[in-house]
Amino acid sequence: MNNVSKVKLLKLSVMVALALSATANANVTDKDISNDQMTTDDVVSYGLGLRGQRYSPLTMINDKTVSELRPVWGFSLGGEKQRGQESQPLVKDGVMYITGSYSRVYAIDAMTGDELWQYDARLPDGIMPCCDVINRGVALYDNLVIFATLDSKLVALNKDTGKVVWKKKVEDYKAGYSITAAPIVVKGKVITGVAGGEFGIVGKVRAYDALTGSIVWERPTVEGHMGYVWENGKKIEAGISGGAPGKTWPGDLWKSGGAAPWLGGTYDKDVDLLFFGTGNPAPWNSHLRPGDNYFSSSRLAINPDNGKIVWHFQTTPHDGWDYDGVNELVSFDYKVNGKTIKAAATADRNGFFYVLNRENGDFIRGFPFVDKITWAKGLDDKGRPIFDDANRPGNPASSKDGKKGSTVVSAPSFLGGKNWMPMAYSKDTELFYVPSNEWEMSIWNEPTAYKKGAAYLGAGFTIKAINDDYIGVLRAIDPKTGKEVWRYKNYAPLWGGVLTTAGNLVFMGNPEGYLMAFDAKTGEIKYKFNTGSGVIGSPITWTMGGEQYISVLSGWGGAVPLWGGEVAKRVKNFNQGGMVWTFKLPK
Amino acid sequence: MLKSKQWLGLILAAITASSASARSYDDIIESNSIIISVYRDFKPFSSLDKQGHPQGIDIDIAQAIADKLKVKLSFQWMTADESVEDDLRNNLWKGHSLQRKIADLMLRVPYDRQYTQLRDDIGERVHDRVHMFAPYHTESWQIIFNSQKIEKIETMALFQYHSIGVEIDTVPDFYLTSAFNGRMRNHTHHFPTVELAIAAMKFSQVDAVMGLRSQVTASQWMLSDQFKLAKNAFPTLGKQQWDIGMAVKDEYRQLGYAVGDIIGQLVKSGKIKSIFTKHHTFYQQPQYYSDE
Repeated sequence: MNNVSKVKLLKLSVMVALALSATANANVTDKDISNDQMTTDDVVSYGLGLRGQRYSPLTMINDKTVSELRPVWGFSLGGEKQRGQESQPLVKDGVMYITGSYSRVYAIDAMTGDELWQYDARLPDGIMPCCDVINRGVALYDNLVIFATLDSKLVALNKDTGKVVWKKKVEDYKAGYSITAAPIVVKGKVITGVAGGEFGIVGKVRAYDALTGSIVWERPTVEGHMGYVWENGKKIEAGISGGAPGKTWPGDLWKSGGAAPWLGGTYDKDVDLLFFGTGNPAPWNSHLRPGDNYFSSSRLAINPDNGKIVWHFQTTPHDGWDYDGVNELVSFDYKVNGKTIKAAATADRNGFFYVLNRENGDFIRGFPFVDKITWAKGLDDKGRPIFDDANRPGNPASSKDGKKGSTVVSAPSFLGGKNWMPMAYSKDTELFYVPSNEWEMSIWNEPTAYKKGAAYLGAGFTIKAINDDYIGVLRAIDPKTGKEVWRYKNYAPLWGGVLTTAGNLVFMGNPEGYLMAFDAKTGEIKYKFNTGSGVIGSPITWTMGGEQYISVLSGWGGAVPLWGGEVAKRVKNFNQGGMVWTFKLPK
Repeated sequence: MLKSKQWLGLILAAITASSASARSYDDIIESNSIIISVYRDFKPFSSLDKQGHPQGIDIDIAQAIADKLKVKLSFQWMTADESVEDDLRNNLWKGHSLQRKIADLMLRVPYDRQYTQLRDDIGERVHDRVHMFAPYHTESWQIIFNSQKIEKIETMALFQYHSIGVEIDTVPDFYLTSAFNGRMRNHTHHFPTVELAIAAMKFSQVDAVMGLRSQVTASQWMLSDQFKLAKNAFPTLGKQQWDIGMAVKDEYRQLGYAVGDIIGQLVKSGKIKSIFTKHHTFYQQPQYYSDE
């Protein structure tokens, strides 16, 4: 561990923070997290509130004043490790906590941009994270800053010193596991999923005591695996996910079914449920595993006290397109004829937007949110896709002549109509702001393939833009009607999160490097600032000393530059970086 | 123990290797050291023994190359990525984003003209950054079975009735779970490695195992006589055998030619075969050397 502690600066910052706020330097409580969306002087959870709405009631920066926005400080993440920066900052008592690429954590004086401490996780040789060395942020609880590492550990640091308080191995990185998501804290427990695109893993959601790191429960996300709870240090069986093995899987493939909940989850206290999405099933070749393959490419509602699966909704049964079902499920309420509907919405990789009843997982409605979907003809009245069998990728094992199989074109591409980047919901406009991409993929069987010195049957693929002039589309979507109210088109694919505020604004960054502010009602661009490298992080806003601040990380990377073909051409000249930019209005 | 001067040499070598370019033949001779990439935990080819010493077929071949070049040998251990294409990028011409270390030579690379000439979707050669050469053995698939459970294996039809273990995400896995309309699927058991599949067979959890011939034969000598190698065909399997060679970065072909000559001598002198025999592994000489 390389822990750079700057005690003098820290003391200074504490004094500044004390001067600013009466509640300065208090520890983060469950109540703070629970009320995060409405308390504007801090951001203590991923999603600006555990529902993940990414909505702030702040109005000082608004559609009239935003054009005056000025950067007040920039902070470089330093080193040569300038890879994708997908982190969402948290702010508490005048201190900002961010993660950087390569499992690094920084505490920064939110007023000045001075570094207070830095923690670098020592990563072992030979880890192979699938899609860049990114991290999406920390969780705060009590006096702890908690984050997860690329080698699949949870680490809790003292918020004032950056020293390790506890550290837990969540899974074995050697078996292909990794963690990149920001953990969340619900009722005193840190909840995390695991990543691992490699074949052979079993997805799990785990809860740990936030203060001590002791495990509380574990819930596998693949049908047939036993869940556990720990009581007084004893591991107790807590029921098999899905009741029994092999109901929706052939042979013993359930033993290694994938379904990694790698993007973390959200929580809604009204129904007291966690919502986690799950990744695609393994193996990738769907012809090997006829069946729905529970609970891959699904949303799971999980009891936060014991890990029990309360309901599930599968967006892509028998996934053959690598449409991970991990995208965030955002809780929101709306009224129909005076009656409040407790809903939740998600914009799936597969191109459909789903509105569910969050109490029981019932399908309310679904509709395409991208312009082109070829893999399914639509959704039935239960929300199940109506497959277009002609557009399912072929079986590589059936190519006998050693030649490429026929090419299937599928839209969206496996990077999804929307990928990991979180959308936002405004209770003022009652619209979702969805960062989406219009792209398709060609997939063919590739018999001339090798893996670890052995012949292999691979699938070749390439991702193509559907339109010449744009891939990215920020959409304002009405969840009650499916109507798109406005759209902003972006040449490069969008890969950063969205923030909306009561100031009639929507904030989002793009890979070209701009932080942009849009009129929430019309989509008109009200402000843009070039941060110097692609923005794939999620912006936040808060108040300090009576002023409203906006912050976002800049640093191009993530999964997009890793894929070849035409899309790579669009982004290959974007420079890498690693900066936090913070903005406010002039006094 | 290495003397400090030699340590310095190694450190310098590592610095040179990690810079944008890998190293030329002249650099390697001058620095008196070569870095050779081998897979981590991959018996019988390359792994660490209980004392932490490198062991295996590829380790011995790497040592033989270093001896002939009269340079000191160090290893770069590879964690296998999703395909050899990724491994070539991570270890030979670009380096992995986490370490950015590049080796001079990588072993266990297919020697396959179709693979070398592979083009991507926009018509560019996929492997234009590397030079693949020097096949040193021919690899294939092999079934081993428990003769107390199965008398003999004439055809794959048996596995509609008998259980068989495979390593996950390999051609045997795809073959057994999809060939003949999936009729063998329910008798296919998946394991993280061939080694674990064979251990399961030993304890009668499966009746047979299909895997890489080198791995299967290398395990057989430790088993009792009741475990036998099958001689069946694999209808509809596609590629039944392939050659394994090595690769250097494209601009260092001179190194490739020097190592290619060494391997040619080692194959013809029977040295390579003796290395396989030492590790109890079946050896098949590549066709490449038969015509001369």
